[in-house]
Amino acid sequence: MPADPRPRGLHGLRGLRGLREGAWGWLFTTPMVLVLGLFMVLPIAMALWVSLLHWDGQSNPFDGSADFVGLDNYRRLFTVDGLDRTLFATSLRNTLYYVVLTVPVQTVLALALALAVNQRLLRGRGALRTVFYFPSVTSSIAVSTVFLFLFQGSGAVNRMLGWVGVQGPNWFADPRGLVWLVLGWFGVDQPAPTAGGPLGLAWSEWFAGPSVAMCTLILMAVWTTSGTFMLIFLAALQDVPRELEEAAALDGAGRRQVLRHVTLPALRPVLFLVLTLGLISTWQVFDQVYVMGKGAPGNTTLTPAYLSYSSGFDNADYGQGAAIAFVLLGLVLLLTAVQRWALRERDGAPGPRSKGVRRAAR
Amino acid sequence: MATSRTLATAAVCTAVALGAVTGCSSSGGFGDTSAKQSTGAGQSLTVLIASSGEAETAAVKAATAAWAQRTGNTVTVQIASNINQQLGQAFAGGNPPDLFYVNSDQFANYAKGGSLYAYGEQIPDASDFSEQLRKAFSHDGRLTCLPKDSSTLALAVNTTMWQQAGLTEADYPTTWQQLADDAAKLTKDGVTGLVTAPDYQRLGALFKQAGSWITNPEQTAMTADAPGNRQALEYVQGLLKAGSAKYVADVDAGWGGEALGKGRAAMTIEGNWLKGAMAKDYPNVPYKVLPLPAGPAGPGTLAFSNCWGIAAKSRHQAAGVDLVKQLTSADQQLEFAKAFGVMPSRTSALATYAEKYPESKAWVDGVAHAQPPVTVPGFNQVLTQFNTDLQSLRTADPAAVLAALQRNGEQVVKNAR
Amino acid sequence: MLARFPRPLRLLGYAVLLGFALLYLLPFLLQLANSFKTDPDAAAHPMTLLPDGGTLDSYRRLFGLAHGVENVPFLGWLGNSVLVTVLVTAGRVLFDSMAGYALARIAFPGRRLLYGFVLAVMAVPGVVLLIPKFLVLKSFGMFDTYGGMVLPLLVDAAGIFIMRQFFVSVPREIEEAARIDGAGTFRIFWSVVLPMSRPSLIALTVLSFQGSWNEFTHFLVSTQSSEHDTLTTGLAHFVSGGLGSGTQYPLKLAAALVSTVPVAVLFFCFQRQFVRGANSGSSKG
Repeated sequence: MPADPRPRGLHGLRGLRGLREGAWGWLFTTPMVLVLGLFMVLPIAMALWVSLLHWDGQSNPFDGSADFVGLDNYRRLFTVDGLDRTLFATSLRNTLYYVVLTVPVQTVLALALALAVNQRLLRGRGALRTVFYFPSVTSSIAVSTVFLFLFQGSGAVNRMLGWVGVQGPNWFADPRGLVWLVLGWFGVDQPAPTAGGPLGLAWSEWFAGPSVAMCTLILMAVWTTSGTFMLIFLAALQDVPRELEEAAALDGAGRRQVLRHVTLPALRPVLFLVLTLGLISTWQVFDQVYVMGKGAPGNTTLTPAYLSYSSGFDNADYGQGAAIAFVLLGLVLLLTAVQRWALRERDGAPGPRSKGVRRAAR
Repeated sequence: MATSRTLATAAVCTAVALGAVTGCSSSGGFGDTSAKQSTGAGQSLTVLIASSGEAETAAVKAATAAWAQRTGNTVTVQIASNINQQLGQAFAGGNPPDLFYVNSDQFANYAKGGSLYAYGEQIPDASDFSEQLRKAFSHDGRLTCLPKDSSTLALAVNTTMWQQAGLTEADYPTTWQQLADDAAKLTKDGVTGLVTAPDYQRLGALFKQAGSWITNPEQTAMTADAPGNRQALEYVQGLLKAGSAKYVADVDAGWGGEALGKGRAAMTIEGNWLKGAMAKDYPNVPYKVLPLPAGPAGPGTLAFSNCWGIAAKSRHQAAGVDLVKQLTSADQQLEFAKAFGVMPSRTSALATYAEKYPESKAWVDGVAHAQPPVTVPGFNQVLTQFNTDLQSLRTADPAAVLAALQRNGEQVVKNAR
Repeated sequence: MLARFPRPLRLLGYAVLLGFALLYLLPFLLQLANSFKTDPDAAAHPMTLLPDGGTLDSYRRLFGLAHGVENVPFLGWLGNSVLVTVLVTAGRVLFDSMAGYALARIAFPGRRLLYGFVLAVMAVPGVVLLIPKFLVLKSFGMFDTYGGMVLPLLVDAAGIFIMRQFFVSVPREIEEAARIDGAGTFRIFWSVVLPMSRPSLIALTVLSFQGSWNEFTHFLVSTQSSEHDTLTTGLAHFVSGGLGSGTQYPLKLAAALVSTVPVAVLFFCFQRQFVRGANSGSSKG
């Protein structure tokens, strides 16, 4: 973009400078545009095309040799009765329970930990904060390895349960849903799967609850993410004006009342933020599933992300895999849009430069 | 002026970086299908196997190393953690290993996609492999991939428990009824009469014994809802309800061999891989291998095999075929049999094997009436779902389970044609 | 001032907190202890923290020093992880801060559009890109190459966002002064603004290091041959093998432990930056 060489007085000079600025701006952003364009936007466009094909991965999907099937891959997920739909529905069911259990537990735990660690008179608060946060920075693969070891049939967790007289299940091999497991103690057996229920999955399956194996994934998610969310709460807590709390205390409000009427309302935007962040990230669970069983036992740890991967790379049905990925993408974008809409123009959420963050970092 | 020069330099740098990004494209995009063939010595082959354990890994490495030394090539053996996934990705990525195990349930997928090099015609004595195995690994009527080994299912019983239950050799079950009676007698004190894995790779044998199977012999139509299959599942359900049979997970075991070895099962249905595992993990558990009891339609068992696939995109196909000839020779197969307990796939070697290992007679004899696996492309997923349904067979309706299998399978069979 | 909790309540609080701390620490302690055990010992006594006559066998096998048994290609994984992490971190620090600066400070046509683009990209979760990324790398002939492993990670939208937020907060006067002294845009960025941004740059470095060291899904779909295995993919393949490899837990735990060490060291040195990173997540999607 060479600048126009002809002098055009003051206005021309400013224009020249503006042009040069513009060139610099684009130059500075070129690596970003290239990398994000080539490896984020282009892949999505290519996959969108592949999701309209029946492609087995053994030919070129862009030369017309693969069958163009239109929206068939999507129809097989939602309307066509068959195995693909059953598997997809199963993965949705599994992830739904995973989300519904993980998000509230990790949020409440993170809030509790943050409130505790925020006590100004607590000794060793720095060390405690480190301990609670450390699992969050480790690799999901390494952590999954440790959990596989801990939750073996005769592993450490079941030994500990044994000390209190509980015979632990064979965690990773147990496909029984929690709901039917508990009902089983009262003599109610899981009914035979019958047709009916949304997406071709029997109602008894929808209501089975998370399997025992899925519970280990939930426990792991809570263990690894509560630290991160604790820090977010902590930053927000330190942004709560201390004067407000003290004024309330002077007015004779008890500790619990201060918490309920001053602290928690101040945390509401952050609470919403943590909830939505949790929602968005739990729908994407993949690494743990890959390491800890690949959907087994009995497809009860299958998630949409893993199903997408395995449809492509295991069953050589890349079109179907891409279609699942786009359904998941739509879901995540929807959640993100809700989050951004609700948090728009609101200053309650601490940015990286907020006072609280800096104080929490200390 | 200085700025303009910096700007220009920066622009050049960016252009170079841009070129580097796109220029990194070596060969091997989607269009690249030809494979230039190497000849002579000094070739480097990659072999991908799914190993059952250190014994198998060591044996395969030793065998390929011997061949490499003799021919002046080099061979790298890689162990796959999930061979189907790794091969699928490798084929789609256009960079497959030269030689690899192919599971019978994936064979059709790969062959149909054109990923396998059909080398069967170059094997002069291919007729030494049983017709059943050759058929399982043929695509469009051409033998594509040589069977690596063969396996069948049999009934393994703990002989000590057998005696303790007051049973004698005369009581060895030969019919479903006897199996049920024996299992009931053996069930007591934390021991379950019959423990097996909840999958079609075990229970499917009973389909064959009841005179039916999941598909018709030509694999062009589903026959999952045949009355024989229902009879078989109802029989198993009866045992499960009576408590004389349990699935492995219910006795805290990973597979039948573990249940037998840990003394939680008096009987289990397993293939000949049981032998190596028992010798290694539970050498003190006395057991005997019997033929599976016959069903209403006679005896029946299942046959399994892997084959040695050569990639269509391999540049070392000739050397690969030579290596396969070596690996599937009668001597080498008997060597493997010794090292990790697999059964040879050559009829001639199988006879020698039967003489050498009389305790494995039931498995060898099973070959005569074994049902080969379903090899329809894409069927793997259907069977995985069927296995999931079988896990809840105790409380499920057998007819509904089979109807689901029929329905899921029909779509795949239709697509495959 | 709020009154202190009464003493019994305080003690109870400490006990509960300590219990939780133990719960968070115990997995790591057990991992450490069991990595020094033999296979049978780890299977029989997974709970003992002091191994009975510990063994270094697992570590010998990891670092290729064992004789008679199969070694694990751990050093290869480690080498790949180090290589990729160094390249990616360097790239991210440079490119993210450049882009962040341009989006915050340089007035150029299309800036708003690009900023919107960054925000949009940030919302796209990595796991939906598994098949898409594979397709693109395959088309470029970059599948199963180091180029394919590194290039797509060189820029990340979240890092750009963090840097932009930072540069927006830098007072303009400093740049204006430099501009009056005759410095051009690049000079101002390089010698005036960047030196001022050390805290943010360190935070970005630390986050990029952690992110690329722990990256799994991208390497899973961009590579296939075992010579490109990183610590994450190598370990995942090793651990998730079939039933046959259900043993060898001391070895697996040791591999997981060693692969955690660099991030742990980084974490204890730069805790503040990690904390800031956690909170920057609060403004990203």
